Amino acid sequence: MTPPEAAVFDRWRHRFAVTTAGCTLLLIFIGGLVTSTGSGLAVPDWPLSYGRLMPPMVGGVFFEHGHRMAATFVGLLTTILAVWTARREPRAGVRRLAWAALAAVVAQGVLGGLTVKLLLPTSVSVAHACLAQTFFCIVIALAYSTSPEFIDARAAEEDRAGVGPAAALATGVVFVQLALGAVMRHIGAGLAIPDFPLASGRLVPPFDAPGVAVHFAHRVGALVVLAAVIRVLLRAWRASAPRLVRTASLALALVVVQIGLGGATVLSGRAVGPTTAHVAVGAAVLGTCWLATLRAFRLLRRRDRLAATASRLGVMVTS
Amino acid sequence: MSTRNRFAVLVLAAVATTVACGGGEKEETKAPPPAAGGAPAAPGAGAAAPAAPAGNATISGKITFTGTVPPAEKVKLSADPKCVEMHKEGMEKQPIKVKDGGLADVYVYVKGGLPPGNYPAPAEPAVIDQKGCNYTPHIVTLQVGQPLKIKNDDDTLHNIHPRPTINEEFNIGQPRKGMESTRTFTKKEIMFPVGCDVHPWMRAYISVADNPFYAVTKEDGTFEIKGLPAGDYEIEAYHEKLKTMSQKVSVKSGETTKVDFAFKG
Repeated sequence: MTPPEAAVFDRWRHRFAVTTAGCTLLLIFIGGLVTSTGSGLAVPDWPLSYGRLMPPMVGGVFFEHGHRMAATFVGLLTTILAVWTARREPRAGVRRLAWAALAAVVAQGVLGGLTVKLLLPTSVSVAHACLAQTFFCIVIALAYSTSPEFIDARAAEEDRAGVGPAAALATGVVFVQLALGAVMRHIGAGLAIPDFPLASGRLVPPFDAPGVAVHFAHRVGALVVLAAVIRVLLRAWRASAPRLVRTASLALALVVVQIGLGGATVLSGRAVGPTTAHVAVGAAVLGTCWLATLRAFRLLRRRDRLAATASRLGVMVTS
Repeated sequence: MSTRNRFAVLVLAAVATTVACGGGEKEETKAPPPAAGGAPAAPGAGAAAPAAPAGNATISGKITFTGTVPPAEKVKLSADPKCVEMHKEGMEKQPIKVKDGGLADVYVYVKGGLPPGNYPAPAEPAVIDQKGCNYTPHIVTLQVGQPLKIKNDDDTLHNIHPRPTINEEFNIGQPRKGMESTRTFTKKEIMFPVGCDVHPWMRAYISVADNPFYAVTKEDGTFEIKGLPAGDYEIEAYHEKLKTMSQKVSVKSGETTKVDFAFKG
């Protein structure tokens, strides 16, 4: 049997991966700016912009071409990271993850081009938004898998409180919520319910206009996300895992800010500032929940299901 | 799922082949749909449909507005220094233009009652000009199959992006002064917006009719539609903000019939 590959901490590669993750979050913010300012079609051609590499950065071109430039930069970072990882990383899984990041960023670029070529059809725009979040998660996983915490961790403690599954569920819920938000944004239902915190003056609005159902589902989704993140925090607390408590607390703080930004988006009539911040903080919530999931599964040993069931039934299991 | 979305999904499935990403501005001209004698067939009539009867009746009138005219909105031009230079004293947008009670920029057309037949589209193109970071005219009128010439008379770039719901949507860039493109609409569609995503304040409306009986009100709210055959018609007036009003009217050969509309704010 081949021994498992020994991971070695590579400080600069880890820092590079963290930088790539940070730039990806910034790129998501700039992508949000493109939608918030209605500049998605300000440059009608792709991959060139008005037939050039560098068009005059006026009006909506500033946002759309700026997004393309930032995306190109992140694509370059990802390419460097993938090649670097392929050459230096002993763990096959991490190498595969790096290639997956590269494949995702290329696919994302192509989707971005298609949104322009096909004049922003909802399906492609939503896919573009969702793949951005997926790519962000892949880069976070790369950054974490190269961190000293990941490499040095010895999962001695059993995850009796179930932090890992709770964090994984929260991550899934946040992803669905972001996808719902993307649908709402791209069908133009951001103001389908014009008031906040009530919905058309009631707890449940009349579903009398297109977009109200999607918008209301996004609001309900926010409460589900809040509950899922609180659950992670409580479990981390019960597990006495300070690092997980800190990550879950950050996630909770971001969710609270995010709900406030959602309200500000509605009350400001989708002003560019709160609307774009809402997109970026949404990605940050996802990234934090995802990091909590990765940390929980790395720092805590998976619970032995047989022992857990036996314990519940009051039966002693001997090995 | 809309046709566009379905198409998008298909495209996604064949991504590699679809990314025929051209790049660069191209002059694109779509040929008008084939029709007898070079003119498009009127709706409901085949290519061999008879020519529509000629007439010499006229409808004229005035469209008025009563109520409070909303204040003009100041446009933030700072996103493009060249637009700022062209409007040193600023720019204001007033979608409800009233002069002496008359309402300008109302599209008036014969909505119903025309005898069936071919109403040949003029070969002369309708023109929309991007000038002074604005569109001229504000209401562009043309017939199905008639070419639309799109001009850029500004020393800055524009994209022109009509958003029809019946005709095919397109988005083309004109990065240099003096550029021209020609497009043709193949279906009747009244008052759909056209805009520039670079300069979000730029907005005009296009109306594509299946007959030549339409007009846009002048500054004083007056209009005139000539050459109608005698008959009973439904006339509709369409304003971008105030929406529509319509009325029935009988016209007689060689006579002018008055039709007035009164919009209220």
